[in-house]
Amino acid sequence: MSENAIVVCTWSAGRDGLPEGCEEILHIGRGLAGAVGSDLNWLALGPLPASAGEIAGRYGVTHLHHAEDAKLDPAGSDACVAAIAAYAEAHAPGALLVHQTLEARVVAPRVAGRLGRAVVMNGISIEAVGENVQVTASAYGGDTRAVYEVGGGSVLSFIANAVVPEPAEGAAAVASESVSLDLSGVEERVRVVEPANFEGPRLDDADIIVSGGRGLGSADNYKLIEELAGALGGQAGASRPLVDDGWVDSSHQVGLTGRITRPNLYVAIGISGASQHMAGCSAAGTIVAINRDAEAAIFQYARYGICGDALEILPELIRAAGAR
Amino acid sequence: MRIVVCVKQVLDPDAVNNYAVAGRLEIGADGKTITQSAVPRLMNGYDEQAIEAALRLRDAGADFTLAVVSVGSDPDKMLKHAAALGAEEVVSIPADPAQLDPHGVATLLAAWIESAGGADVLLCGRQASDDDQGVVPALVGERLGMPVVSVARAVELADGTLRVTRVTPEGDEVVEVACPAVVTISNELGDPRYPAAAAKVKARRVKPAVVSPGDLGLGDAELQPRVMLTRQFVPEVQGNCEFLEGDPAQVADQLIARLKADSIL
Repeated sequence: MSENAIVVCTWSAGRDGLPEGCEEILHIGRGLAGAVGSDLNWLALGPLPASAGEIAGRYGVTHLHHAEDAKLDPAGSDACVAAIAAYAEAHAPGALLVHQTLEARVVAPRVAGRLGRAVVMNGISIEAVGENVQVTASAYGGDTRAVYEVGGGSVLSFIANAVVPEPAEGAAAVASESVSLDLSGVEERVRVVEPANFEGPRLDDADIIVSGGRGLGSADNYKLIEELAGALGGQAGASRPLVDDGWVDSSHQVGLTGRITRPNLYVAIGISGASQHMAGCSAAGTIVAINRDAEAAIFQYARYGICGDALEILPELIRAAGAR
Repeated sequence: MRIVVCVKQVLDPDAVNNYAVAGRLEIGADGKTITQSAVPRLMNGYDEQAIEAALRLRDAGADFTLAVVSVGSDPDKMLKHAAALGAEEVVSIPADPAQLDPHGVATLLAAWIESAGGADVLLCGRQASDDDQGVVPALVGERLGMPVVSVARAVELADGTLRVTRVTPEGDEVVEVACPAVVTISNELGDPRYPAAAAKVKARRVKPAVVSPGDLGLGDAELQPRVMLTRQFVPEVQGNCEFLEGDPAQVADQLIARLKADSIL
């Protein structure tokens, strides 16, 4: 039993077999555990990826706790909440950390509600302050940062995509320890009747993203964004107004309420740079902005800017990108 | 059947964005409160869409009483708007938002719902556009023992079962859940309607019922915040943009050349 440990919770594997954002959230957990002088433990629910022990080693995990149960494969949110709450009651963690997936947005506050603990979402960074921690979180769609102070045992959700994890190479793997959590009373109340069936590459995995916004003028012009994305070997994204207006489907939406991306290159065309949008792309390696308005906020984030009409510049860019 | 929608008053996020981008957002002496008096206060947009989701259930023939409730200090305008749209009950739980954390808000909402005949469906916006936390619906769901379905773009109701289309990164997902349940509404639901002029006039005379925390048997001990906002600030953005000049063909060639020189392409 290691009380007061910082515990990273993961469930449901992503596309590469690992839980989405697991290295990023372990990176944040390692920082906090070091600052407060606690162990970092990893609670992995459901099937354990083969590389979990090695990854745990690279982030200084002391105990890799693994709970397997038919109800956690795949993990429904009722089972997840019950499992994490049961674990927290048995192990009294100093903090529970999760990477903020769409499901975590419901699981984290439900765990906090069940345990009567504080919960903070949209975390970007964390600092220990005496017995408490201060979480800096995004607010007002990214326009401001709110710093929240919470006590021990809180549930903290981080937008970990924006973090660049730093694994310690060559560290010894950590053996997983099975923990038993009683889920016999759990019946999933929400039933999936039509699963999402999006196929093809996801924006989250893209190395290059070309996104369009209202500055394109009309829905027909979005095909130029797709063409440029194709010519650069990247994927096409969009700002929220385009999704709200039905120009493109929501799988393309970059932003706080869409996808939070971290490509090497992000080309924003006809996008003003509202914080809501920038929350989904500001961690990109290089941002290029094309906008008619030289005062647009997007240029504050951009490395290269072109002030002009997107519809005149796009065909030339498609040509130049195709010729490279 | 009874449907409850929770609404919150927020600072207009577009106005906050304009001031923030212009570098003129004012944070007060407490280091955390936006003090610009010119920023309008309005109903959280996602909450407006939660009311719209309820009205669409009514359009589709569902028979229910619609109650709209708000915790805060100045809800009358929002609640009259809700009444004009067709809410039979509008309820204000007066409290200073700065003194409450999400647990406090959820405690008040859950206690009121239990005292006022429960809820078969609880509809909320997916998050409030001020703090973006989006945890109150799940906290209320836990308190009332109700399942929580998030980010709905469409909600249907038949024989006590909700069929909800959720917006996920992998595309739309359809789930079913038996009532009572909490559903949070996302922007993909679409534009909320405006009330008819006659309904607006009639709603001016509506007086929201006022239920104090004390009426619900709740005091400082139960509403003690666990999350304290200590500071709020506008993050700094690195401004090192190099503008490329020339005609469209020239800037396109320059850009591709720069990206190649930087080893990005």
